[in-house]
Amino acid sequence: MAAPLTLVLILSVTIRAVLFRSSLAELISERVEVVSPLNAWKRVVEGLALLDLGVSPYSGDVFHETPLVIYLFHFVVDYAEIVFMVSTFEFSGKYNLFIKQKYALEADRYPHDCLELMRSPKEMHYIPLKVAMFYLLNPFTILSCVAKSTCGLNNAVMALFILSTLKGSALLSAIFLALATYQSIYPLTLFAPGLLFLLQRLYIPVNPCRSRFWFFTVQYSVMFIGSLLVIVCLSFFLLGSWDFIPSVYGFILSVPDLTPNIGLFWYFFAEMFEHFRFFFICVFQINVFFYTIPLSVKLKEHPVFLIFMQIAIISIFKSYPTVGDIALYMAFLPVWSHLYRFLRNIFLVSCVLLACTALFPVLWHLWIYAGSANSNFYYAITLLFNVGQILLVSDYFYAYLRREHHLSQGLYLRRKDGSEATLVLK
Amino acid sequence: MVLLFVCFCLFVCFSLLVLLELSLMLALLTKATQFFSSGHTNNWAVLVCTSRFWFNYRHVANVLSVYRSVKRLGIPDSHIVLMLADDMACNHRNPKPATVFSHKNMELNVYGDDVEVDYRGYEVTVENFLRVLTGRLPPSTPRSKRLLSDDRSNILIYLTGHGGNGFLKFQDSEEISNVELADAFEQMWQKRRYNELLFIIDTCQGASMYERFYSPNIMALASSQVGEDSLSHQPDLAIGVHLMDRYTFYLLEFLEDIHPASQANMNDLFKVCPKSQCVSTPGHRTDLFLRDPGSVLITDFFGSVRKVEITREAINLTNPTELSLRNELKSEALFYVDQLPVADIIHQKPKQKDWHPPDGFILGLWSLILLVFFKTYGIKHLKHIF
Repeated sequence: MAAPLTLVLILSVTIRAVLFRSSLAELISERVEVVSPLNAWKRVVEGLALLDLGVSPYSGDVFHETPLVIYLFHFVVDYAEIVFMVSTFEFSGKYNLFIKQKYALEADRYPHDCLELMRSPKEMHYIPLKVAMFYLLNPFTILSCVAKSTCGLNNAVMALFILSTLKGSALLSAIFLALATYQSIYPLTLFAPGLLFLLQRLYIPVNPCRSRFWFFTVQYSVMFIGSLLVIVCLSFFLLGSWDFIPSVYGFILSVPDLTPNIGLFWYFFAEMFEHFRFFFICVFQINVFFYTIPLSVKLKEHPVFLIFMQIAIISIFKSYPTVGDIALYMAFLPVWSHLYRFLRNIFLVSCVLLACTALFPVLWHLWIYAGSANSNFYYAITLLFNVGQILLVSDYFYAYLRREHHLSQGLYLRRKDGSEATLVLK
Repeated sequence: MVLLFVCFCLFVCFSLLVLLELSLMLALLTKATQFFSSGHTNNWAVLVCTSRFWFNYRHVANVLSVYRSVKRLGIPDSHIVLMLADDMACNHRNPKPATVFSHKNMELNVYGDDVEVDYRGYEVTVENFLRVLTGRLPPSTPRSKRLLSDDRSNILIYLTGHGGNGFLKFQDSEEISNVELADAFEQMWQKRRYNELLFIIDTCQGASMYERFYSPNIMALASSQVGEDSLSHQPDLAIGVHLMDRYTFYLLEFLEDIHPASQANMNDLFKVCPKSQCVSTPGHRTDLFLRDPGSVLITDFFGSVRKVEITREAINLTNPTELSLRNELKSEALFYVDQLPVADIIHQKPKQKDWHPPDGFILGLWSLILLVFFKTYGIKHLKHIF
C-alpha cells in the first residue's frame, strides 16, 4: 500500500516540478479556466507587494484572499510551489485514512443476493490508492497546482474537514469547517452532512423530538460559529481593519468581476440590467445553498455521499469556479466505483467533459485572439461543461439511490411465487 | 563769387557723399552685427495638416503652400517635417490628379514636383505629433521623421485643420488640447530643442491654442480669435471644394513676395489678412518672445540661415571683444532652467520596510492552534513533545 502510493507521489511531484520549471507555467497561470479573481497567484503577489508598500491589500479590486492567506504566504512567498505541492499531498493523504473508516458502518444487514453489491475488503483496499491517483494525477489538479492557484489550499482545508469528520472529532471538524467557510462561504453547506455524520457516528437518531439530537446540534453549531468568529476576529487583528469582509465575502456574494470563467455567473451578469442585478444575484446564490435541505432529507442515512454531492454542487454553482474545484469532487469518484453498474450516462458524460475541456482553450483563442468567435461560443461550452457535470452528479445520485433500493428490496425482483418480475414505470 | 559757390556746392556734395557712405557703412555694419548676432544657426519647420477626407482639401492646400514657401526660401527637406493626414493630389475624387491648387484660376500648383511627405495618412496622430516635437521617438524612426533640432534652431510650426476653443482635431477621432501643446513646448524648451519658435495656426478659434503657452521665446499667430470661425477662401467649381482658407491664402500671397534676402519683419506678418479680407480677426502673441518683433526677420523662421553672403564692399568689423561683450549683454535676458541638482538624480529611494504581521496576531493564532491540538490529542501527549 505504501509502495504504490509513494510511486504515485513521486510521479506527481515529477510532473509538477517539470511543469513548474517550463515555460508553460506562465501560460497556465493566466488561463481563466484555471485561475479566478478569487484565487489567482498573481493577485496574491500583488496583495503582498501592496502590503510591503504600506497600503492595505484590499484597497482597489485586486486582492480577494483572506488575511490568514496573507499570513501564510508572507513567509513562504518564494517557496510557493512547495506549499502548493504539500497541500496537494496532504489532501491525498487524507483518503488513505478515511476510506478504512467509511464502510465500518455498513454492517451485514442486507439480504443475501446483495452480496455482489457489497464490496469486498480486497476491492476496498485499493480505493485509497485510486483516490490518491485520481487527485494527484488529475490534469485539472496539476494545472491548478502549476498555476499556483490558492484553490489547492481550499481543497486541502476541505479535505481536512472531511478527515476530521470521519474520524469523529466534532471539535476539529467544526474548526476545519469554519476555516473552509472562512476561505470561501460555500462550504457552509457542508455543515449539514458533517452534523449528520457525527450524529450517525454517535448513534443519535435524527429526530427533532429527541433532546440528545438538539443538544449535539447546538454543541456542534456553537463550536462552528464560535471558531468562525474567532478566526474572523483574528484576521481583523492581522491588518487592523475590517476591509477584508467586503473584499472577500462581498466579492464572492455580489460577483462584481465578470471575467469569463467556467462558471455560470459571468455571462448572465454581463448582459443584465442594473435594475435586476440584485434579484438575480440572490437567485444564483440561493441556488448553491438551496439543494442542501432536500438532499439532507433524502440522504440523511448516507452523509458521506451527501458530502460528495454538496461539494459537487458547490463546484458547479459557485460564483468563481475553477478546474481545481472540479478536481476536488472528481477525486471522490473512485470511492463510489461500486456504483459503476448502475450508472447510465457514463459515455455521454465523459465525452461531454472531455470535449469541453478540449474546446475551452480553442474557443477562448477564437474569441479573444482571432476575433472570429464571440462570448456566446465560450459560454456555450461553459454551459455544456456544467451540464455534463450536473449529469455526472445526478447519475451518481441515481446510482446510489438505486443501490440502496436494491440493498433493501433485493437485486432481482421476484414475484410472490418466486418467478422473475420486472419493474415497469408507467 | 562763383568760385565760392562752386566750392560750397562741392563741399555740400562731398559731405553728402560722406554721409551717404557713412550711412551705407552703418547699414552694412548693423547688418553685419545683426548677421553675427542672430541667435540661431539652423531652421526647422513642422507643418501639419490634421484633417482627412476630400472636403478638407483646403487644409492640405494650406500646408502645402506654407511648405512651398518655406522650401523656396531655403529650408531643405531634411529640415522640414511635413505631416499630411490625407492625400488630395492622388485622391480618387480629384478631377485634376497630381495637383493641389491654391486658387481657382489654377495659378499655383502647390503640390509641385518634389513634395516630401514625412508623416502621411493615419500616421498623423496626436501621439506622433507630440513625439516629433519632444523627440521621444523609438530608435527605429528614420531621420526624415525626426525633428533633430538643437538649442540654436529656429522652428516654424504650422498647424491647420478643424479646431475649437482649446483643442485641435486630429483625423476626426482624437484631439490635442492647448495645454498639451503648451507642455510639449515646455518640454522642448527644457530639452533645449529650440532657440525661438514661431507658431502659426489656421483653424476656427485658433487663438485659444496659443493661450496656454508659458515657455520663453515663442511667438504665436492665429487666424481667428476665440469665438470666431476661420473661413475658407473660395471654391473651385471644377474641383468641387474650397481650395484654401483665407488666412493662409493671404499669407501665401505675402510670402510670395519674400525672397531669401528680404528684410521684412514680423510686424508685417501681423498685418497679413486684416478683418476686411479675412472676416475673422487674426491674433498674435509676442509676450513670451524676448526680441522685439520689429527686429525679427521673416526669413529668421521661414528661410534658412545662410552662412555665406557674397559682397563686394569692404566691411570694417569692430573689435571682437567689444562685440562679444555686447552679445553677452544681449543674451543675459535669456536663461536656462536649472538642471536638476545632482542629489535628486543620484538619490536612492529608501529601502522599503517589509510588512510583518502584528505580534498579537501571531501569538493569538499559535496559542489557538496549540489549544486545539491539545484538546484533540490530550494533554498526556505533551510528554512526547518535550
